[in-house]
Amino acid sequence: MTRLHPQTLRIIALFVALLATVLFFSTQIDNYLSPRMFTRITTSAAVILPIAVGQAIVVMTRNIDLSIGSTVGVVAYLTGEFLGGHPDLHPLAVALLAMGIGGLMGAINGVLVAWGRVPSIIVTLGTLALYRSFLVQYSDAKTITTASLPQWLVDLPQANAFSLFGLDVRVTVVLALLSALAMGLALTRLRAARRIYAVGSNPDAAVMAGINAGMVVFVAFVLSGAFAGLSGLIFLAKFGNITVVAGMGFELKSVAAVVVGGVSILGGSGSMIGVVIGCVLVDTIDNSLTRWELVSEFWRDALLGMLIMAAVTVDTVMSRSLGRLGGKGGA
Amino acid sequence: MKTFGLALTMAASLMGTTLMADVVTATPGQAVNIVLLPKFLGILPFDQADRGAQEAAKELGNTGTYQYIGPTPENSAAGQIEMLTTATTQKQGVVMLSNNAGDQIAPTAEAAQAAGTKVVTWDSPIPSGKGESVFVAQVDFGSIGTVMADMVYSEAGGAGEFAVLSASPDAANQNAWIEAMKVVLAADAKYKDLKLVDVVYGNDQSEESYNRALGLVDKYPDLKVIMAPTTVGIVAAAKAMQDEKLCDKVKVSGLGLPAEMVSYTMNGCAPEFALWSFVDLGYLTYYTSYLLATGAIKGEIGEEFAAGRMGNFKIDEDPGRAGAKRVLMGPFTVYNKDNVEAASK
Amino acid sequence: MSVLDLRHVSKSFAATAALKDMTLTIEPGEIHAIVGENGAGKSTLIKIMTGVHQPDQGQIFVSGAPVTIRSTQEAQSHGIAAIYQEPMVFPDLDVAENIFISNRAQGAFMNWKQIYAQASDLISQLGVTLDVHRAASGLTLAEQQTVEIARALSLNVKVLIMDEPTASLSAHEVARLLSIARALKAKGVAVIYISHRLDEIFQIADRVTVIRDGQHISTKPIDQVTPDGMVKDMVGRAIDTFAVKSAANPHGDSVLRLEGLGRAGVFSGITFDLSAGEVLCFAGLVGARRTDVALALFGISPSTEGRILIDGQAVTITSPQQAMGHKIAYVSEDRRKMGLALSLPIFANISLASLGKLLGAFGLIDRKAEAAMAEGYRKQLAIKSPHVGVEVGKLSGGNQQKVMLAKWLETKPRILIFDEPTRGVDVGAKAEVHNIIRTLAQEGVAVLVISSDLPEVMALADRVLVMREGRQAGILDISEATQEKVIRLAAGSARGQVAA
Repeated sequence: MTRLHPQTLRIIALFVALLATVLFFSTQIDNYLSPRMFTRITTSAAVILPIAVGQAIVVMTRNIDLSIGSTVGVVAYLTGEFLGGHPDLHPLAVALLAMGIGGLMGAINGVLVAWGRVPSIIVTLGTLALYRSFLVQYSDAKTITTASLPQWLVDLPQANAFSLFGLDVRVTVVLALLSALAMGLALTRLRAARRIYAVGSNPDAAVMAGINAGMVVFVAFVLSGAFAGLSGLIFLAKFGNITVVAGMGFELKSVAAVVVGGVSILGGSGSMIGVVIGCVLVDTIDNSLTRWELVSEFWRDALLGMLIMAAVTVDTVMSRSLGRLGGKGGA
Repeated sequence: MKTFGLALTMAASLMGTTLMADVVTATPGQAVNIVLLPKFLGILPFDQADRGAQEAAKELGNTGTYQYIGPTPENSAAGQIEMLTTATTQKQGVVMLSNNAGDQIAPTAEAAQAAGTKVVTWDSPIPSGKGESVFVAQVDFGSIGTVMADMVYSEAGGAGEFAVLSASPDAANQNAWIEAMKVVLAADAKYKDLKLVDVVYGNDQSEESYNRALGLVDKYPDLKVIMAPTTVGIVAAAKAMQDEKLCDKVKVSGLGLPAEMVSYTMNGCAPEFALWSFVDLGYLTYYTSYLLATGAIKGEIGEEFAAGRMGNFKIDEDPGRAGAKRVLMGPFTVYNKDNVEAASK
Repeated sequence: MSVLDLRHVSKSFAATAALKDMTLTIEPGEIHAIVGENGAGKSTLIKIMTGVHQPDQGQIFVSGAPVTIRSTQEAQSHGIAAIYQEPMVFPDLDVAENIFISNRAQGAFMNWKQIYAQASDLISQLGVTLDVHRAASGLTLAEQQTVEIARALSLNVKVLIMDEPTASLSAHEVARLLSIARALKAKGVAVIYISHRLDEIFQIADRVTVIRDGQHISTKPIDQVTPDGMVKDMVGRAIDTFAVKSAANPHGDSVLRLEGLGRAGVFSGITFDLSAGEVLCFAGLVGARRTDVALALFGISPSTEGRILIDGQAVTITSPQQAMGHKIAYVSEDRRKMGLALSLPIFANISLASLGKLLGAFGLIDRKAEAAMAEGYRKQLAIKSPHVGVEVGKLSGGNQQKVMLAKWLETKPRILIFDEPTRGVDVGAKAEVHNIIRTLAQEGVAVLVISSDLPEVMALADRVLVMREGRQAGILDISEATQEKVIRLAAGSARGQVAA
């Protein structure tokens, strides 16, 4: 195999884009290439990465999960509240609880999409509002504050897993990377996980090939919910203060990271390494723009939006010209 | 003497109430259907306003209905417009609105007025004033500017750089407060050594506010104070400073809820912040609405009325919005480590 | 012992009986052709064998044991698999993974090394070469079919159903598919071969079963069957396989002239004259870029070099609107993608390209006129449908083709381009389409036909333009054209013998 696989090419392109972004901002912002900036970006990306991983799985099956922002909010709130009454719960049990709640919420989406045959954009647009409404009702306008959380959780965002060349790698960052790594390994090594690609690539063919496509889609949504749950836990630890607006807008951030990371919005392709780089790239741009003197605050969102559109356009043009080279000539 | 008094009374009634206003008192026991419509449901300040409104409703013995309804957070602006329309078709007497839809809601509010449903705003007004009967302002926006400037002054020790972390670029009330603060800073030589270096927006989201606060610290190494006139922003900024162990260097101040701020005030990350009582705001808004709907007041400038336990208030012109009318509540409380714990219970 | 046995199988949908008392026996290692017109029940039969549908009555035996087949998975476990005209592959996965995606015997983890080795082995067993690392999205239809066959083989298939496998293949690829079928036969696999192309059936089949109206008509060894007898069994009457050409029209003036037309990197140097009343057929292998010439003429992917002259005047055509303005119509090959709105009724499809003529008061569409116009075509073209309100998606392929034709006829074209007008259309409907094309030519329409079906070209054309790899390889008058000459031009002289 001397020929580069299009996916590999895409990862390289993404990596180059990330490098170029970092280099560019290092000429613009004083003290940019610093351990502190590294921590800023990695810890901020760590909140989004798990949901981007979950979103990627769903998008690979040719669906979308717009409810994960609300899922993050509900999980952060419920977990925070539960910890208020059970501060001695083992950290691992807390993680399982958060992912379990998230998984359950994902399962509701999954059932409706896989077996209810309702388009995922409709289902998750509905649960986006539904889960948020549930949180509004349930919370009764009470805020979860750091005071009610166990100390280990409050300290978690500052906890260092290890240091590398003077760069601190935080525990939350390791957690987020582990979720991507686990999913990445599954997607390349596990036969059952390969079916995610198959279903997204050609749903009819999947059924013809004897794959239980409904089950695959269902599992994808459960995983998306569970990863959103993990994200909710990291959110809770990092911000401490949980109100009904927690996690709002995360669905769009995750879709942005996934799409920039080279997961085809039409399903069937994409890789976890791409999602990680996409997530970091989006976060780097966002965090760098706020520190860039030349750009006013008002342009930040617009610039970020333009960059995402540029990424998608480049992607589309690239895959179209690759398709042409591949030669599917007509009669 | 007697004739003189009679003449005065006649003059007053002829010229309306502008010259010498009587203080209007509400007649309890009338039926007015009232709706409280906050920006969205689920956060503490709005629930407190609801509590105040209910208290007033009980005092006034209103035999009409009272509803506390609102959109979910992700659907705020569109939801408000929809709910105002629904309230109009239900022929509600008054909708008490904390506007989050900017001037987009003005046509709907005008339609409501035309159909006989009064729109009384509180907390956040309709910027153009169109379709609004009167705005019940929590504080004078000018005096908020003074308090914000003073808090920055004391936290910065009288001199140094500070930045503002606001909600969103199109939040009418926050923008007005920031402008008012700038006016105060420019007007008084006392503040000449304070330098406002940046205004950033966290869109009332924890993670965005948190990241923006850290961005400010990185961008301005000499930053001394982050002024966050938003309850979401101030907590996120305080948490960010605490996480980065910067509380000795950069202080956070602004407008916050005691229950959410107590730990940061006690540990010195946010030594002082201000807030008014949302319970009182709801209470006063309810009184104003009731009086308007029963015809006891017309909503004209100069009218004065009694609002139960809170005393007398007067309708005047809103200095920030030409042609709009407001009822000014004021004052607010500055919280520090001496009083925050009691208030957070 | 027979490998697959259907005994007295019946299946009805609502009031319509799709299969009636069907009995069919498949022996190991035989190639068993099943023929019948569209609607004869072939697809229902396949769906029953592959577990998509369950029979209302009757029994299925696999290697002598009675079975029920409730899903494609169960069919696979009994060793029954199918490939279709449109291959079912996963474009984003590579060849090897496409083969093994649903293979339960492979364990929970992907052993990529082993997967690639086994995939290569399976592909070579079929006697073809194909890089197993390639993504399926870049494969030709024929290669995708090969992948599907290898997938079936990996599941130890005993019966492989091939449903119209050659409908979209070039002559060269057809030859390769037939040799794959023979390779399967040699391995003891039974192949059920379903095709409209009678010549292929005579090349490859051991036995032929004819079905008509859901009923079994006959099963005979191939050497006891003649083409005419088979067609007679299929339609229940004797018909001419191909329309008898009318005496050539006195050719009028040149309506359309192309001078060195080309599109950068796609095709070039296309030059011809087309007169009113003439039928010019485009022949060539799949990939010869014939459709691209049509797309350029119709303005979908405009030409970048050369000239188009209509009535002697040079014109520019860069959009379908312009093409329609010059009275050009294009009846496309891909009915689903480019031609028809399948969820809309017949009348709406027919009126789509000529709504301007149907405007009544206030610029609204005159529904009555629209329905009357559509009804006229339904009768004229014999579209088989109770009324013009039926959704086009519910019609058979041949009738969809007629609806599309009606849509373009309503624009009153002077130049009509047909792209593979009878692909996937059965014998009876094919003859009707041919008659329509000839009648149009007689009425003075200039007709271009792109066809990969050589007998069709020979039956329809006044002249044949042969393309090879984006270039014009030659133009033959029908009087001098033979199938051999056309193939030689299309394939290049070196490969001509192979393809023929």
